Amino acid sequence: MPAVADTRLAVSRADVDPDDGVYELNVALDLELPEDGVRAIEAGLTLRLAYETEIARVRRYLPDEGVATLVQSYELSYHALSQRYLLRNVNTGEQADYGTLQAALDRLAEVRGLPLLDASLLEPGSDYEFRVRAVLTLRTASDTLNWLLFWTDDWSATSEWYAWTHRR
Amino acid sequence: MDTPSLRRTASAAAIIGGGLLWLAAILFMAQTAQHSAQFSRLHPWILMINVAGLVVLVGLLATKLAQLVRDWRGHVIGSRLKARMVWTFGVLATLPILLVYFFAVQFLNKGIDSWFNVEMRQSLDDALVLSRSALETRMREHLAATELIADELAAVGGEPSGLLETLRREAGALEITVATDSGRIIVVSKGLSSEVVPDEVPGEVLLQVRQGRPFVSLEPQAAGGYLVRTAVPLGSAGDPRGRLVVQALYPVAERIAALADTLQATYQQFGEKDYLRRPLKASFILTLTVVLLLSLLAAWYGAIFTAQRLVQPIQDLVKGTRAVAKGDLDTRLPLTSHDEMGFLVHSFNDMTKRLRLAREDQQRAQQAAETERANLAIILARLSTGVVSLEPDLRVRTANRAAITILGDELDGCVGRDLGAVGVEDGLLGQFAEACRARIAAGDLEWREQFTFQAGTARRILMCACTPLPGEGEGEAPGGFVLVFDDITVMLQAQREAAWGEVARRLAHEIKNPLTPIRLSAERMRHKLLPSMNEKDALLLDRGTETIVQQVEAMKEMVNAFSEYARAPRFEMADVDLNLLVTEVTDLYRAQVAGRGVTLEVQLEPALRTLVADRGRLRQLLHNLLTNAVEALEGQPGGAITVATRLGYRNGEEVAQIAVEDNGPGFQRELIGQVFDPYVTTKPRGTGLGLAIVRKIVEEHRGHVEAENRTEGGARVSIELPLNEMTGAQAARREPRRPEPRRERA
Repeated sequence: MPAVADTRLAVSRADVDPDDGVYELNVALDLELPEDGVRAIEAGLTLRLAYETEIARVRRYLPDEGVATLVQSYELSYHALSQRYLLRNVNTGEQADYGTLQAALDRLAEVRGLPLLDASLLEPGSDYEFRVRAVLTLRTASDTLNWLLFWTDDWSATSEWYAWTHRR
Repeated sequence: MDTPSLRRTASAAAIIGGGLLWLAAILFMAQTAQHSAQFSRLHPWILMINVAGLVVLVGLLATKLAQLVRDWRGHVIGSRLKARMVWTFGVLATLPILLVYFFAVQFLNKGIDSWFNVEMRQSLDDALVLSRSALETRMREHLAATELIADELAAVGGEPSGLLETLRREAGALEITVATDSGRIIVVSKGLSSEVVPDEVPGEVLLQVRQGRPFVSLEPQAAGGYLVRTAVPLGSAGDPRGRLVVQALYPVAERIAALADTLQATYQQFGEKDYLRRPLKASFILTLTVVLLLSLLAAWYGAIFTAQRLVQPIQDLVKGTRAVAKGDLDTRLPLTSHDEMGFLVHSFNDMTKRLRLAREDQQRAQQAAETERANLAIILARLSTGVVSLEPDLRVRTANRAAITILGDELDGCVGRDLGAVGVEDGLLGQFAEACRARIAAGDLEWREQFTFQAGTARRILMCACTPLPGEGEGEAPGGFVLVFDDITVMLQAQREAAWGEVARRLAHEIKNPLTPIRLSAERMRHKLLPSMNEKDALLLDRGTETIVQQVEAMKEMVNAFSEYARAPRFEMADVDLNLLVTEVTDLYRAQVAGRGVTLEVQLEPALRTLVADRGRLRQLLHNLLTNAVEALEGQPGGAITVATRLGYRNGEEVAQIAVEDNGPGFQRELIGQVFDPYVTTKPRGTGLGLAIVRKIVEEHRGHVEAENRTEGGARVSIELPLNEMTGAQAARREPRRPEPRRERA
């Protein structure tokens, strides 16, 4: 059965770079699929990886104020006819293909220069907490069989939040 | 609409609504098991609804079953039939459901397994290999074309842009890129249909080309369709621009791409389903289990509901029957259906209605009969005539108050007893019962006869008539007998006394008148003739006239006695001290009886109070009794007369008792019962009126008199006079009480 819950999944590094008035997100993921996960992908299931990013203004006496939330999703699937691994950016629809699963996973585990938010949305002099985590789920290619995954145990995995503070 | 109807409507609406919801949930659940992405998303919710329905059904079923068990243990009417029906319906529903479930699970397992059998997998794999082979042939052709382009470019050298375009068109490529082995693009030739921005050379392509190996791959496109990417090295290591790479992208024909997409989709779906075979089977079996469990529980609940619906009229009927058995004929059963059970309920209601009407008729008839019976009882109670009804076997059925008064109180306890066994043999009741029983036993069912009974010291004359009661059928034995009788003793006595009174009155009138002339004539004759007659004739005349005078006097006394007897009483009621009166009268006789050697003893009751009476009549009463006693003792040595007064009670009333006893010869046995009748006497010179007058005086004072012979010898006359203060006028006006018979004992 799918066992992505056993996936080694952790955000090893993350930061933001203000580039031309836009904060861009860089994330490095420690990602290693177990054999069940690999077999599930090769059987035709789709691996979806979502980077969930939250930005909140740190306030001293009040609860932190949410500023922005971004979910960036990718889907990794195996194309049996071409024997290629397809990596699709769900947000943009862009697709790339790789000859090996590891090449696709390496690409999946690294995000560089993902536009996060406009710098003008952050108040100068304020502290902001950025945090990011990765959510890995197995899906069927079509939605019609997704309900079956309801009956499996380990069809998703979630990393711990990786958080850091940034002063504007 | 009444409350039960509302409740039934609400229940029906709830059942229909719940049933539809449940059906919809099952259908949705079935849809999720098919290929609907929309229902797939709702799958957990739909499953939750079904599970909730399952829980609700289990709860309802448990409640109903618990109620059924309680009814069974409590021996509630219809619970056993209901339980049997529920069991039968439930088993009938369960068996096919279980069979269906068993075979459905088998089919599911085998059916799903059959989808992924080896042949199917092999066929798909073969199809994939075949497709790959076909595409690889095309890819190799494209690679060869790219190698030719690379050779052409290598041969020409310099900037190949013009040649590149020509070569691209000849090869049918979408795009040809010449780049360094680090990926920097030197020149690109693109067709009009391709994107403006040239596709960069992927790293893996560069890596492989740097290793001196050509690159070819089939790449699915995000927008659909396929591209064949080929890349070969260009030039030699001595090229000043470094090692170059020629990358060419070739399109795949739409028809082939579509076939490839179909195959890829089929292969992927097959792979997914094969991979998810176990959860697929588990979910199908779970869906089937939930649906069948719902169906099973619904079937059981339906069995209970149906059984309840079927048993309810029976329960109503049993309750109604019990209510009718207890007499509640107002019971109406609700008509819940128009089938055979409804017909039965309707018949029951019709029956109770008829029974109620019949009972009302019967109650009216019974009430009328009771009224008649009460009237008859009142009439019988008021009758002075005795009425005794007998059963056909001569057992006493009823006796009215007059019968008890006439025959004695012991008749009151004889109801139900045989007529021949009631009363003592010499008692009035015994003699009466025996006389009647003998007549009826002799076959004489309807008769009328005057009986004379000697009950103790009293002689009683009863006029009795017997009438048979009608039997149950014509010609059947009588249903009993009615004895109607009256005590005519007093009436006959009164008739006799009236007759004797008339005789006395006539005697007094017819005889008394000539007695005076006779006496005067005899005395004149003696006075005129005696001095002139010789001694012998004078003596004869003297004796003759003396005899006439004496006889005339005797006749005069007798006529006076008759006159006294016949005379209508004129009461002079006053308080009378009976002891004083007795003393006065007896004192008159003391000297007379002493001369005859007779003792006269007087015993007086000191506590006796005065009574209201006619002193003169009572004085005459005492004279008559004492005269009788003295005359009875005439010539008898040692004669003794006792006069006693006592205080007593009779019928709850205080009475003064007077008893005059002697030790003479007593009454003659053959005259017992007639000593108080006029002209009944054993004395040669008696008129026979003494005791008759005594009885008359006693009756005038509403008293009671008895005459009997003492066991130690002699006669005793006992008199009881009421001690009330009734005046004479009141006594005269008083409604005549049934006269009590005189009691005379030998």
